[in-house]
Amino acid sequence: MPAFDVRWVERWQNMVNQDSVARLLGRHFSADVMLEFGPSAYVVSFERGEIRRLQHEIGAESAYQFALRAPAETWAKFVQPVPPPMYNDIIAMSHTLHGRLKIEGDVKVMWQNLRAFAWDLDLMRAVKE
Amino acid sequence: MAKIEPVTGHYLYVPFEGEEYRIFYEEAGRGIPLVCLHTAGTDSREWRHQLNDKEIGERFHVIAFDLPRHGKSIPPKGWWKEEYKLTAQFYADFVVAFCRELGLERPVVMGSSMGGNICLQLAQRYSDYFRALIAIEACDYSPGWWLDWLWHAQVHGGEACATAINGLMAPQSPFEYRQETWWYYSQGGPGVFKGDLYFYSIDHDFRGDCEKIPGKIPVFFMTGVYDFACTPEMTQKTAKKVRNAECIIMEEIGHFPMSENPVTFKKYLMPVLHKIK
Repeated sequence: MPAFDVRWVERWQNMVNQDSVARLLGRHFSADVMLEFGPSAYVVSFERGEIRRLQHEIGAESAYQFALRAPAETWAKFVQPVPPPMYNDIIAMSHTLHGRLKIEGDVKVMWQNLRAFAWDLDLMRAVKE
Repeated sequence: MAKIEPVTGHYLYVPFEGEEYRIFYEEAGRGIPLVCLHTAGTDSREWRHQLNDKEIGERFHVIAFDLPRHGKSIPPKGWWKEEYKLTAQFYADFVVAFCRELGLERPVVMGSSMGGNICLQLAQRYSDYFRALIAIEACDYSPGWWLDWLWHAQVHGGEACATAINGLMAPQSPFEYRQETWWYYSQGGPGVFKGDLYFYSIDHDFRGDCEKIPGKIPVFFMTGVYDFACTPEMTQKTAKKVRNAECIIMEEIGHFPMSENPVTFKKYLMPVLHKIK
């Protein structure tokens, strides 16, 4: 299972920032997003489709627009090169039938940027340990 | 020589509930009428592979039409005055009206997602008219999709609707075909996908009605393992309650078998078509 530690998230950050489609789709995607992988949580700051900043020391005053929270085991399935059924997508994992991922906060921002955001998350599958 | 498909398109005027609907349909092949129903918020382009399939066309007259408001079928008069909400009654009766207007004799209906769910309603109410029903990604109740975000002035409907369904497709399906399906979904009119999902998640609650299906005609349920909206378990549970039903679970495919992976889908579909006489 991936560690979902700072190094892993930084590798994902590099993949997003080097991906030309991520830049194309994310031209207007600027948001601070909380990603919670079980005990490991980060505020990821997207700016025009690039990840500009990662905050890993999360406190009560950490600000973000929306959050995705799931156990590390759930994310571990999501990031597999070929994820198993029901774990291949955040809409799948958060669907009322499944409830494996919680999406909270100003979710309108997520829906406004869903194409770019989902593309970026899919790039997690190419992160090497 | 020009490369031209054997598929032809037409516009049919369907009188229905005091309106005259201008309906676009595509057709190919000869034989038993096989009417294909698109999924929510899209159109008949989803069926292009089956329309072009010579083997299917040897025995079946494949027809795929766009519901009103979808694809090239225009909405009814005054459509802008109220929120679009597809109902089971309108949907089932319209499918029958379309088939009868074309003069189809004992057609087979094959539909996916909401097109699969409507097969249950057709099986209950119109089993004397149809020959068989192929209910793809279908079950008696599929909640959780009637979402405001799918029709919201501050959200790009095309991108949001298309990305919302992206994960319903299997990672094994060719990326190009998954992107093509995404493309179809990006092109629905405002509120059309959500309006279809009113049927899919709200009006289609068939949980108490499966046993009422008379069983005069076969119903083939076919569901892909990556369908998180209608899981294999949901289909199996439904199929058990339906007389004269067969349940087929498809590996390495999701909610849009005909468009996301036509090659894998065909392996499962041909044995079903062989059973239909």
